[in-house]
Amino acid sequence: MKACIVVYPGSNCDRDVYHALKYVGVDVNYVGLDDSLDGCDLVVLPGGFSYGDYLRPGAVAAREKISHEVRRAADRGKLILGICNGFQILIEMGLLPGALLRNSSGRFVSKWVRLIVEDVDTPFTRNFKSREVIKLPVAHGYGRYFKTDSAIRVVFKYMDDVNGSDDMIAAVTTEDGRILGMMPHPERAYEKLLGGEDGLKLFTSVVEYLRRNAS
Amino acid sequence: MSKYRFAIDVQFKSSVRDPRGETIERVLRTEKGLPIYHLRLGKSIHLEVEAENEVEATRIVHQACEDLLVNPVVEEYEVRTL
Repeated sequence: MKACIVVYPGSNCDRDVYHALKYVGVDVNYVGLDDSLDGCDLVVLPGGFSYGDYLRPGAVAAREKISHEVRRAADRGKLILGICNGFQILIEMGLLPGALLRNSSGRFVSKWVRLIVEDVDTPFTRNFKSREVIKLPVAHGYGRYFKTDSAIRVVFKYMDDVNGSDDMIAAVTTEDGRILGMMPHPERAYEKLLGGEDGLKLFTSVVEYLRRNAS
Repeated sequence: MSKYRFAIDVQFKSSVRDPRGETIERVLRTEKGLPIYHLRLGKSIHLEVEAENEVEATRIVHQACEDLLVNPVVEEYEVRTL
């Protein structure tokens, strides 16, 4: 079982994800713009400000060569997790529907938020309880989810209005649940030392899912 | 081959809220007392295309818009020659 973290110019949560995955015992490595994703069971697009958010957040990164590799991995049914800027990149790639726009307040928002787990039937959320309330940090200027697909599978919702997202959507997944895009940062909340450990279940969910499917 | 210059005007669709535009509009109206409404803050992109002729150059500009410069989910655009 191998996980790959795609490091774009301007990614800045790559090391946090690395440590979170190590913490749950996954073999992880960083992947650059010209690398391959062959042999990867889980691909993570971390948070940050790829290409300085030029043009639109994630727009440039989504057209990089490595992003075509991400698309190939998705076509092969691999698990893809996009966090924050990674979510923005997945949307710009068209792997998830909708758009992520500037927060309705016009301000960058950086704080812990309460979320409701809406869908526990995905490889990423199987260890959560349905409708469980969890706390994770958010840190984004462009997190307002603009919904275009009424049948979209919503995985997490904000309990309070954080950024003006349609239906308070914080995370969405594909029909098969294998591609997850989320604005909150589970990698900043996987052990008590970080101020919370509600993000841990997301990582243990993926690990257990991959182990079960490998054997 | 000749070079052709274009300006691309990118705006949010009317169904999409533009908090930056709203803030600027509010300041102009309440602080400056100007009767200004429906301010939308888009972006303008100027570029040069190398092509055989203007028709081909225009086609290339539209392709650039569709491939990267514009997000058709929330934005619309207009192209003009410079």
